[in-house]
Amino acid sequence: MTLLQSLKNIVRSKSIHVAYVDVGSCNGCDIEVLACLAPRYDIEQYGIYVHNNPREADVLLVIGAYTPGWEEKLQSLWQKIPDPKVAIAIGNCPISGCLFNRPHTLVDPPVSKHIPIAAQVPGCPPRPTEILSAILSVAPTVFKDFEVRK
Amino acid sequence: MTGPLYEKDLTSMKYAILTSRRHDRMVHEIASDLGLPQLRVRRYIMDHFDMLLMENLPARYERGKKDREDSPDPERSLGAHLYTRAVPMISEELMDETVGKVKDMLRHGTPMDQAISSGKKQLREAIVP
Amino acid sequence: MKRTVDVSIPIGPVHPCWKEPARVKCETRGERVISAEVELGYMKKGIERIMKGRPWQEVMFLAERVCGICSVIHNMVFIEALEHISEIVVPERAAYLRVIVNELDRMQSHILANFSYCYTIEHETLGMYLLDTREKVMDELERITGARVTCAFIVPGGVRFDLRAEDVLHLRASLDILEQDIKRYTGIFERGPMIALRSRGVGILTQEAARESCAVGPTAKASGIADMDRRLHHPTYQKLGFVPISRNEGDNFARIMVRFQEVIQSIALIRKCLDQLPEGPIRGGGIPGAGEIAYSGEAPRGELSYFIKTDAAGRVLEISIQTPSIMNIEACCHYMLKGVASLADVTSTFVSSDPCIACTER
Repeated sequence: MTLLQSLKNIVRSKSIHVAYVDVGSCNGCDIEVLACLAPRYDIEQYGIYVHNNPREADVLLVIGAYTPGWEEKLQSLWQKIPDPKVAIAIGNCPISGCLFNRPHTLVDPPVSKHIPIAAQVPGCPPRPTEILSAILSVAPTVFKDFEVRK
Repeated sequence: MTGPLYEKDLTSMKYAILTSRRHDRMVHEIASDLGLPQLRVRRYIMDHFDMLLMENLPARYERGKKDREDSPDPERSLGAHLYTRAVPMISEELMDETVGKVKDMLRHGTPMDQAISSGKKQLREAIVP
Repeated sequence: MKRTVDVSIPIGPVHPCWKEPARVKCETRGERVISAEVELGYMKKGIERIMKGRPWQEVMFLAERVCGICSVIHNMVFIEALEHISEIVVPERAAYLRVIVNELDRMQSHILANFSYCYTIEHETLGMYLLDTREKVMDELERITGARVTCAFIVPGGVRFDLRAEDVLHLRASLDILEQDIKRYTGIFERGPMIALRSRGVGILTQEAARESCAVGPTAKASGIADMDRRLHHPTYQKLGFVPISRNEGDNFARIMVRFQEVIQSIALIRKCLDQLPEGPIRGGGIPGAGEIAYSGEAPRGELSYFIKTDAAGRVLEISIQTPSIMNIEACCHYMLKGVASLADVTSTFVSSDPCIACTER
């Protein structure tokens, strides 16, 4: 890796763009992710910007227990995110299915079967501070060994 | 590329909506009212309605049933408001035509039951061609 | 005459302004929307199927997770239905505490809905003010129930925790600050000329259309229908002298203003509860038994009804849930969106009806 590239990587890891996708949760985790935007937690002072556009994102927050409507679509959404990228599973649902993983259910957890998951934040729902610290701890590893393909 | 990007077959998801308890009762009542097999009613709903309208059908049906009780007779028995506005299975023109025909038959001395059943037959033919 | 081309424009499932996935397919002529169709299926978990045949202790937690934003009312309606079946008596203090927590939940839900709307019309400053105010409500909710979301505060025969004297003081102090803040933000929203341009006269739902689509809650109240508020039939609210509010405009502006007014109303209701709060136990006795009932309550978004049938062991044999979002989103997509002038207004009109897809699909 050239010096320029590693310098670029260090700079880019201080400015993370986040998108979130709900693949079938109860909405509790969505609003906790939204609460991160509030001036109290102030996600932007850490250099994290939430705009929910997969095509510009570095980090994808996956919420929910994977419902049948997302077949193929989650994959194609994951492919639209430019490299380097990571996915973080927020809440119990994408990890195990939580309460919804019972007989007669329609969901198909865990989400790691469908896209690679780098970190998991358990909780039903996790607190905004936990979500924030998870993104912050993953951020340096995203760009660590990234090189532009020739 | 010509085809739409995200379109996919929604039949199984639509069927999942129709299996709930409230939908089941509604389909049963509509089928027995019109004299159709339940399967045909389900099929028609799945083919013609979007998913949100399907979710809301039981609420609309209950409201339509209440309004049906208040309307005068040939419309009440045919469910003129119910099947055109609340559960939009039949176009308003066809319903107007059917109600007109039934009223004509009543004027010419046809008994009520017979007139209504011939009106319902016409509605049935519109749903199952 | 020049012929304009009809275009079908899909919006979603992932959209920067929406919290949850849904796909709205708009048939447009130019930018004017002629009709809209919605494709769901991104959130269908089959909760009613999971609930069937399970003991009430499990269904109680599942009911809460039908919707994370208005979890308290789902909990409350399910437990109160269970209490009606098995004739469990609730102590008066517990009944008042339920109302306090329910109104706090309604406040945070309404503030979140208004935040989403402000964010969608790109008034980010007001949006952030509102989101910060919501955190104050969440603090109070957490202080009383022990959790921010999905708190499982209400149990058969009472509530989980008592309200201590210092909590009451803290709650009263917060309510004063909240009232001041919300009144200020209501003023900003009401008098903002740019907000009025994006909101007044956009996405009109007439009273007739609201009745036809069975709209409920703030969506119906903004169109002048207020008599369907289920709180009018709740004994504790009757004691508090609850009167629903309504407006007549039926546009986006009215829907947001109704929510602001309901937040102020909720603050007044909580104050009244605290004034009248009787001393006594917070838990009564009783065992859930067999029976069936259709019971409904007023969620932040409107009427929420449960039908449950239980057996003698307290297992839920049959259940069906009708959530308010179903009716409201239907009213929005099939009536409000017709004739909306531009595609930018499609998203804001959709958000103004406070859509909750998790509720809609369960």
